[in-house]
Order: sequence, then C-alpha cells, then structure tokens
Amino acid sequence: MSRIGVFICHCGENISRTVDVERVAAQVGTLPGVAFSTDYKYMCSDPGQGLLKKAIQEQRLSHVVVAACSPRMHEKTFRKAVESAGLNPFLCEMANIREHCSWVHEDREEATRKAIEIVGMMVERVKKNRVLPTITVPVTKRSLVIGGGIAGIQAALDIADCGHEVVLVEREPSIGGHMAQLSETFPTLDCSQCIMTPKMVDVANHPKIKLYTYAEIEHVEGYIGNFQVTVRKKARSVDEDKCTGCGVCMTKCPQKKIPNTFDRNLGMRPAIYVPFPQAVPNTPVIDRENCTKFKTGKCGVCQKVCGPGAVDYEQEDQLIVEPVGAIVVATGFDLYSIEEKPKGSPIKGYGEFGHGKIPDVIDGMTFERLASASGPTGGKILRPSDGREPKQIVFIQCVGSRAREKGISYCSKICCMYTAKHTMLYHHKVHDGQAYVFFMDARTPGKSYDEFWRRSIEEEEAVYIRGMVSRLYQKGDKIVVMGSDIAVGVQVEIEADMVVLATAVQPQKGADTLAQKLGISYDKYHFYSEAHAKLRPVECATAGIYLAGACQGPKDIPDTVSQASAAAAKVMTLFAKDKLEREPIVAKVREAGCVGCFYCQKVCPYGAVEEKEIRDRQGNLVKVVAYVNPGVCGGCGTCQATCPSKSVELDGYTDEQIVAMIEAL
Amino acid sequence: MTPKKALNYAYYPGCSLHASAGEYDLSTRELFKKLDIGLTEVPDWFCCGATPAHNVDELLSLSLCAKNLELAEQVEGDLAVACAACFSRLKTAQHVLAESDIKRRQVEKAIDAPVPLTSNVKHLLDILARDLGLEQLEQAVTKPLAGLKVACYYGCLLTRPTDVPNLDCVEAPTIMEDILKAAGAETVAWSHRMECCGANFTLSRPGVVIQLSHAILDSAKEAGADCIMVACPLCHGNLDIRQKEIEGVYNTEYAMPVFYITQLVGLATGLGADKLGLDALIVNPMPLLKEKGLV
Repeated sequence: MSRIGVFICHCGENISRTVDVERVAAQVGTLPGVAFSTDYKYMCSDPGQGLLKKAIQEQRLSHVVVAACSPRMHEKTFRKAVESAGLNPFLCEMANIREHCSWVHEDREEATRKAIEIVGMMVERVKKNRVLPTITVPVTKRSLVIGGGIAGIQAALDIADCGHEVVLVEREPSIGGHMAQLSETFPTLDCSQCIMTPKMVDVANHPKIKLYTYAEIEHVEGYIGNFQVTVRKKARSVDEDKCTGCGVCMTKCPQKKIPNTFDRNLGMRPAIYVPFPQAVPNTPVIDRENCTKFKTGKCGVCQKVCGPGAVDYEQEDQLIVEPVGAIVVATGFDLYSIEEKPKGSPIKGYGEFGHGKIPDVIDGMTFERLASASGPTGGKILRPSDGREPKQIVFIQCVGSRAREKGISYCSKICCMYTAKHTMLYHHKVHDGQAYVFFMDARTPGKSYDEFWRRSIEEEEAVYIRGMVSRLYQKGDKIVVMGSDIAVGVQVEIEADMVVLATAVQPQKGADTLAQKLGISYDKYHFYSEAHAKLRPVECATAGIYLAGACQGPKDIPDTVSQASAAAAKVMTLFAKDKLEREPIVAKVREAGCVGCFYCQKVCPYGAVEEKEIRDRQGNLVKVVAYVNPGVCGGCGTCQATCPSKSVELDGYTDEQIVAMIEAL
Repeated sequence: MTPKKALNYAYYPGCSLHASAGEYDLSTRELFKKLDIGLTEVPDWFCCGATPAHNVDELLSLSLCAKNLELAEQVEGDLAVACAACFSRLKTAQHVLAESDIKRRQVEKAIDAPVPLTSNVKHLLDILARDLGLEQLEQAVTKPLAGLKVACYYGCLLTRPTDVPNLDCVEAPTIMEDILKAAGAETVAWSHRMECCGANFTLSRPGVVIQLSHAILDSAKEAGADCIMVACPLCHGNLDIRQKEIEGVYNTEYAMPVFYITQLVGLATGLGADKLGLDALIVNPMPLLKEKGLV
C-alpha cells in the first residue's frame, strides 16, 4: 500500500485567493493511499521544502504529490527536495492548480472542486510511478561554432582560451562577418576593422581553434555531449597549404567585372579573389560561377602565374566529420533588401522607394562601405550614379522594421543608432552638407547611446523629422523625398542628392534549413528561439545547442559580444563535468510485443530509434525490433502514440499512469 | 481571332458613368462589343456611396455596396466595374464583411439578404489584361497607337487600400502599362503615377485639387508624355476638366489630353472617334491624334 503525501501550496495568494486550499488538503487526505496532506503558503520556499522533507521522513511516505504551479516552474525543485529526503525523485509528481485552475477561474466553489479533482488524478497517477534511475552519458569536450562573425569569433576564443578545442565553421571565404564591413562603430566611433581584425587573426592563430572557411554544415547527428557534425568544405580551387597569399593571381585575372558583394556591389572584383584585403585566411577562392576557366575551359592564367602552384582546378568539396559535445549557433543576420518582393511573399517590398531603381537610393550597409577607409571610394561619401559629393542627404528609418502592413512587425534595434552614426560620419566628411532623418521614434537604450543620438542632433547638426516618407522619385539629378512632419502637422518635400534607407535586420538566408539540420526551433521570421526569454536566453530548447548574436534577433555589437561570451560560459559549464546526467524520461520498447514495423523510427524527431536483432540460442535471427537510444531520446512520446502494437512506452508517462488519471475523474 | 471562351460580365457603371463620365461608359460598351465581351448592366443598381459615405457612416457604406453586390447576382458572370472608386469600395466592403461576422450580420439585416462575399469584382483593367489576356488583346489591335507617348495614371484607388486583395502591386503596379503596350503605345516612366489628384475634393476644396493635379500634369509633361490615361472618372474630372483652370493658376500651358483607358484601347481596335466619345473631352485630343495619324 502506498503512503502518499500531498502538499498544497497557496502560492502566496495566487492559488488560495480562488481555491480553498485547506478544504483541498482535508478532502484529498481521505483518498485511499494518502497518508498525509497539508497546505502551506510558499511550498517552494526553504521552510516549505523543509516541511516536505520532514513529512517524508516522519510519515515514511512512499510517493509525493505537490499541488502548486506548473511543473515547468518547480518540478525540478520539488524532485530535488524529495531526493534529498531519500526518495527517488521520479516518485514525486506535480498537480497544477495555479495555471490550470486558480488563474483561469473566478468561482471559488467550482475552482476548489476542480482543484480537488486535479490533485485526485495525480494521486492515482503517482501510485503507478516507477523508480527511475538517472541516465549518464559521456561528454566530448570539443565544441562547434557555426558562423565566423563577431559572435562566433568571441565564443570560439572564449571557449578555446579555457583550453577546449573549437571547430569554427564559416560559410564565406573569410571570417569577420558584417562587422568587418562596417566603417566605424557606435557609440565610440572606433574603427570597426581596428577592433575586429586582431580578433580574426587571434582565431586563425589559436592552437585550440580549427578554422573552416568557405564551409557549411552538411549534417548533424547525435545529442548533447555527443554530436557528430559533417562539415562540407567547399572547393576553394586554391590549396590553402601552398598559397602564400601574394595576390598575383588576383591582379592577373582577366575577368575583373564581377560585382564586389563585400562592397555591396559598389566596386568590382576578379573571379579569383579574397573578399577584402584584411581577410582571414588570406587565401583566395575561385568564384566558379564567374570564372572563365570554369565556364569555357579557356584561360587558366591564375594557375600559370601562381609561384607556389597552389591553384587547383580539380579540387572537390570535402566532407569532414567532427565529433563535438556542444554547438554554438552564431549565424548572424542579413539586411532586408529594398527590392520588390515576389508575389505571395508575406513580406512586401518598398516599391514607393524606387525598387532600388534610383541609383542614389542606397541602404545603410552600402553607406558603411562608402564611409569606410577601405571601401570602394577610400572613405569619401560619393553618389553611386555620378561620383558627386551629396550636399543634401536624407536618411529614412524603419524601412521594413515595425511595419506590420509590410510584413515585419519587430523593431530592428540597431538602426536608430547606426543612422545617428551615419549623420555624424557624413558631417565629418562633408562639412557643408546637410543631413535629414525621417524617424518614427528614436530608440536608443544602451550605455552612452542616448548621448550619442543627442550629439548627432546638437553637435553634428542632423535635422530629425518625425514622420514617415510616402514616396521618393527622381527629378533631374535630385531625388524628391515626400514625407510628413507629424510634430508640426505639415507635409515635407526635400530635394536630396542621396537617400539612405535604414533597412530591417532579418535572419540569414537559409536560417530555417540550418535549424532543421540542428533540430532547433525558430520563430515566424526565422530567428532562432531561446529556451526561455529571461532565464535561459542563450540556450536552445534542444540540449547542448547554444545561441549567440543576431541569429536570435536584432542585436548590436556590445550585446552580441556579451551573449557570445555567455554562450561560451554555458559550453564550459557543460564541459566542467566528465559525465552528463540526463532525465530518465525516455521511451522503452517492449521487445516481446514489437513487430518491427519501425513507424516509431519514422516519426522520431530525435532520430533515437535504432534497429536491434533478436536471435535465439543457436544464433538464428528471430526478428528485428526497435530500440530507443536513451542518450538521444528527447522524451516527447511521439513513438508511444504511433506504435500500432502498443509496445513503446515513455517512462513517467505510461498508459497505466494516464488511464489511472482518467479513471480518477 | 478565336476567343478562348465566351466572356460575359455583369456591368456596374456607377453614377459618374451615367453623368459626367458618359464617354467612359460609351467607350467601355463599344470596346467590349468590339472585343466580343458581353456586358449586361446590373438591373436597378444604385450609388455605392463612392468615396464620402464610409467617412460618415460605415454601416451605410457597407450596406450600399452589399446591396449592389446582391443585385449583381441576378446577372450571370463576374461583376465588371469601370470606376476606380466604385471598384475600391465594392472590394473593400467584401473584404471587411468577410473579416467581421458582426458587421456582416448587421449589413445582412439592413439589406435583408445574404452578402455575396465570394463573387468576383473585377475592374475593367483586370478583364482586359487577365481575363481576355494581353495576347488576345494584341491580336484585336488593328491600329496600333504607334508613336503615342502615354503617361499611365493610377491615382489612389485602383490598388488601394493596401490590405484589400486588389488589382495589382500596391506601390508599383504595371497593369495599365501592360495594356497600353499591347495596344502599341509607348508608356513613359514618370514619378506621379500613384499620387492623389485630390479626388472628390473637387467641389469642396478646389485649392487642394488644383495643387495636387498640377503636380501630376507637371510630372507627366516633364517625362515627355503626349497625354495621360486614366481609369477613374474622379481623376479624369480633376485632370481634364480643371486643366484650364490649373494652367491659369500656374501660368503655364499643358494642352495635355486625358483619355480613359477604353478610349485609347478602343482607338487601337479601330473604333471611330464618335463611338468613343472623344468629343466629350474638355482638352481637345484631336490635334494630337491627327498629328500621330491615329484619326
């Protein structure tokens, strides 16, 4: 006979305001198998937990039901308390009488009756609970970082500095990400390259960091502590070991008319190239789509001029398997493009801003390249159309951001600050120029941020106009900006020489595909979702995978770097133990009943179901059954629901337990 | 020319086409006859409330549109609408009533009938460009409008409001240009294709209309257009009827004929000036059409 203890929590007044907790305690005390029941104001507090432990020992309780909040909140807390009192933690269950009862009902009488029923169900359920042993798995103390922008670089350096190996995978031919493209950074106006490139070099030289550039994640298998990651190292057509980075191949390449994407198509680059002079690694890559040799078979100049003989047209993609214990995702962001969006896309374009058809309407990142000392104009602000210095420049904020009717409702967070920075850079370089900014709100929370924004107005003479722009059009060599000033209530028309659009931050293209490979979740915009917005902000719901930077949502550099270090700290926490403890809520197959249909294998989102051969004593194959790898199983129960012969059961959620709950009603 | 299938529509001309925009009505009927597209006028139709009603009483405005939609059910075929304001209102009403059960019930009580929410409301542009098709239209052209530079003017209502599924891309539509190109004309790229002409402020706030319409005429002229093409009686009123007055206020001269789409396409299919009501236009288009050898 079980001796069940039931502990009813008031949750301050959260529960007791609506539910008569004393009556619940008295009523469930009479249920068969219940040896003890009581109520307390804060069951999760130290005295509350003490009360629970004391009762277990004094009353020799065999099972425990805590009627309180959601198990999401405190199941761990109470199971720990139960364990410290000498019981198996999985003999403790929670009855949710807060979210499922007191918060959603008003009538005290009915809520009390419902609470009694909820607790009664859990009493019946807990009787069927089994003692479950904790599962331990080994940990591979190496980590993978996906993305070589500032977030990935910071996380990789932090982990590697702690002595653990890191594999850093970057899609582009060089690390550096968007930060390497920026001119100067807010709020200190220090040169982005000057603070970025030394870190890039550190990564390349770190003995604990293995760097794969021009590489992508092909496939991910395994689970926390034991991932097997397949990396596709794309053919660079240049042997990294032989190349000295002299650059002769690039200067001799006859094909020089390929838009330079790093410079936002403002300049041209050859077919064999490094994205920018400070690239790490400084090994060129052949852009096979645009290379004459690959297109027509004629040319081969780069191979002829290469002294060390590093150019290799035969090179093929390589697949490399890396075992790692943890993964940091730092794939960053992409900018919303102002082009017209295809029909059917939930995101609508900005046809009214000229479809990118007016050459002097550019986006913020293009302005960064114009302002950058290493950019296509050597840091001079010049119009793309005729190379003239713009004397009147209009910045438009919130292009794509906070525009529900255009498909994106979130704030892109960094545009207010980077536009303020742009007005300053402009004023520093074009002293007699005038900058105007159309804005909805100025959102500048952050250390020294508001001061920075104020400075752009008070010292750098930017004119801020509160209101949106309805349309731009070309008139001669000017761009007429038609907007409104809602502070004064008038319509405004400005004849500008150049217009800069502060376009929204969006996740990288292909963010969803990568998420599917990793088995992590993402929101409707394809930003990756954290496990808990406040308390687990750098972890994914999938164990062993962590997030850093703008792949999770718009972020500025300081936030990105902090989060990257936080993700690194989480990885180190994981690596601090040699063995990893896992909850034993996993599925088990009853081999006698299993007919080997493997429907469970098809539906398992974790890939935890394996095939197992059953042989008789003579070694003859009797049948093939399913086997659930407890290290991989996520405990979702999909296999249990799918199994046609009812041969799979999830520990802690057995049919017996569920039926007992239903019968208690 | 072999028609793909017989096209037949219920026709909702709207008030303007029976009054100030008679030439739009005339040219529409003639063009459709020429293209072998059937038009049957909705019996007993009445005003849709046009642009003012919804500012005064939403229920009234929705009910007026709903009743017209219901009347149109008596005639076989999708509903063809010529006026941009009627088109916008009928589409909007359908959209609003489909989204809100409460409003739909109120309106159904008011008109004492169910609202046809799924019936197809189509602007003439849609019928020409998509139902008939540009290829078919091109085949019907016997007198291409070669050498005529046209500024296609959309105004506010053809593609708006933005959240109502509408005729073409909200901010950068091309449907008028597509049709005109099929008719052999040249279209100009100009800045004020989508600006408001002042719409129905023409009587209450003429000053506003003069200022806005002036900008449109100016922009079309600057882009080198010979004429403007519209698909809305309100736009036509402001740009054509008030053109002389605008010229006076700004001390300039445009002499810019403003055609309805059906008039220009009609010309291209070989219809004569008399069947298109060209004499009803205030800015005389004849000198231009003669110069280009189109009449």
